[in-house]
Amino acid sequence: MDTRKEQGQDLAQGAMLGRVPDPAMISMDEVSGMAEPELERSKRPATPLQDSLRRLRRDKRAMVSLGILVFMVLIALIGPPIYQHIGGPYVNQITGQTVGPQSYHNYYYENLADQDQGPSAQYWLGTDQLGRDILARLMQGILVSIFVALFVEVFDVVLGISIGVLAGYYGGLIDQFLARFTDIMLAFPGLLFIIMVAGIFGSSADSFFSHVPVIGPNGNARLLLVGIVLGIVIWPFTARLVRGQTLQLKEQQFVEAARTSGTTNTRIILRHIVPNLLSIVVVTATLNLSNTIVGEAGISLLGLGVQPPGSSLGKMIADGAQNITSYPREVIIPCIVLTLIVLCFCFLGDGMRDAFDPRSKD
Amino acid sequence: MVQFLVKRFIGLLFVVVGVTFITFIMGYFAPGDPVLLMLGQHYNQAAYVALKHVYGLDLPWYQQYWNYLKNLFTFNFGLSYEYKDRAVSAILASGVPISLELGSWALLLTLIVGLPLGILSALKANTWVDTTNMTVMLILFAVPTFVLAVFVQVFIVWIDQSTGASWPVSNWGTPWHYSWSDIQYKLAPIIVLAAGAVAFYARLMRTQMLEVLRQDYVRTARAKGLRERIVIYRHALRNALIPIITTLGVALGSLVGGAFFIEDLFNIPGIAGIALNSIGTRDYPVIQATTVILAVAVVLGNLLSDILYTVVDPRIKVE
Repeated sequence: MDTRKEQGQDLAQGAMLGRVPDPAMISMDEVSGMAEPELERSKRPATPLQDSLRRLRRDKRAMVSLGILVFMVLIALIGPPIYQHIGGPYVNQITGQTVGPQSYHNYYYENLADQDQGPSAQYWLGTDQLGRDILARLMQGILVSIFVALFVEVFDVVLGISIGVLAGYYGGLIDQFLARFTDIMLAFPGLLFIIMVAGIFGSSADSFFSHVPVIGPNGNARLLLVGIVLGIVIWPFTARLVRGQTLQLKEQQFVEAARTSGTTNTRIILRHIVPNLLSIVVVTATLNLSNTIVGEAGISLLGLGVQPPGSSLGKMIADGAQNITSYPREVIIPCIVLTLIVLCFCFLGDGMRDAFDPRSKD
Repeated sequence: MVQFLVKRFIGLLFVVVGVTFITFIMGYFAPGDPVLLMLGQHYNQAAYVALKHVYGLDLPWYQQYWNYLKNLFTFNFGLSYEYKDRAVSAILASGVPISLELGSWALLLTLIVGLPLGILSALKANTWVDTTNMTVMLILFAVPTFVLAVFVQVFIVWIDQSTGASWPVSNWGTPWHYSWSDIQYKLAPIIVLAAGAVAFYARLMRTQMLEVLRQDYVRTARAKGLRERIVIYRHALRNALIPIITTLGVALGSLVGGAFFIEDLFNIPGIAGIALNSIGTRDYPVIQATTVILAVAVVLGNLLSDILYTVVDPRIKVE
């Protein structure tokens, strides 16, 4: 009796979502898989997840965007070590020292003898007004952008799903809290809130977080604060979305079936509700990534994010903007890269939304 | 209707208290002792206590917050830390008309450009006009305001250098005056600030319009033999505009956020520009005041759009 209910509910569930199946489902598959010949197995209809991925793969715009984004991430990760091994030794005109590419292809090495240089074999994209290599700073800037964006999205998704599901499933106090908090955050333009927090606590964050290894030094300490605040601003929206979905899901028959067969609330949430939310959360998170990157760049542009000698796309734009009349190249390059990243995330998110929409059947 | 407004007003009150409390508590926990900083080398115990009393910083936090709230109602935002004898309101006073002017023009431009573009796209749906228009709007919507500002500045500089004209890319003319030089100052920032919201409204308007054009009552109107113009402007457009009104508050919020970048990049001495400068000098009351003013403006904008919504859509009153 009990097992039959579980089966029925799994089928109902499997029909409407694209995701990894339940452990119960897997064991069932394995049993039947042993009984059936291999050929039969491959002919089984595609799961909803496979359907969605197939639809996504067919979306040229989304796929090109994904390609560009992967390329950017690769450049940011493995570009700097490679770039720092390209080029011969070079004599610094002012100090008279001979420096190798590991110095002058470093994003914070200031070569005051080579200010505002155009692209050359030595500096592939030229140098900025302090004689720093623009390509090196660009790669560091992309790395910073992507790192902050991922950090914020993890924060956003974890908090958004947990609070959203609890609010939607149990209602009550936590729901009230979420509603009120979202109200305030909706009224408070997110950027305004970040500017205020970063403006007031920025300098103490510098000293407080600068001892954190890897992310602390080189002026990036303040980004940790900016990242946390960005997360605080964004999560209520994800939580509200998740809450709405949960409210719908918990009225569905498979949840009712699970409840009738005596499944505990915790198990219902973890096994039946959260997996059904994943596709919508993934789409929202992708679209949010571009907002986060713009937010971080904007905060750094206002001088409230990355501090010198660190680099970020926003910081590069702010630095270049001071030189706009004589060397517009310095400001255009980071602008183009930022625009490209943002557009790619937009197109990818749009494509994913179409692909994961259960109503869109090819 | 009255019940709705009362309910909405209570919600508004709650949000205002929340917003002011957040800004207050930020200043309260701000690092560094402003009084100590102000006295500097002239520090002595008596002066310290006296000055702390003048700024009201010797009270417990709930009394400070109460005073802060009371003062807000009279537009008294306290004294500046940086310019010792000046009130924050006096510092911000010069910026208010500038920011207000920038914001109002941008909002106006948003509506008179964005909505017609959206309607045009909906009427020409799936033709090349629609596709081009929507692609441009998608790009405008996705590109961050500050990137657009930089591109426009580069463009202006390039025009200047190649034609010898001297179009300014920073500063702001006299508020609410429109001589030729004032217009030169104001045109670019206003257009750039509005661009993102224009794109947002064009896309939204297109969706709404297409939605409404599918409705039965539009078909009925056409079946009655009404002229196409009347069908579109009297029957479709009016209904398509209703959801647009609810998003006015959101648009205002995005304009307020964008104003920080515009005032920073174009060097405009509005209140956002003043607030950004005061961050450098750690003049916290100025930052707090700016935040409160802008946040409350957005809250009021939201309330206004809600009220307008009930006025325009008679179905709301029933609930």
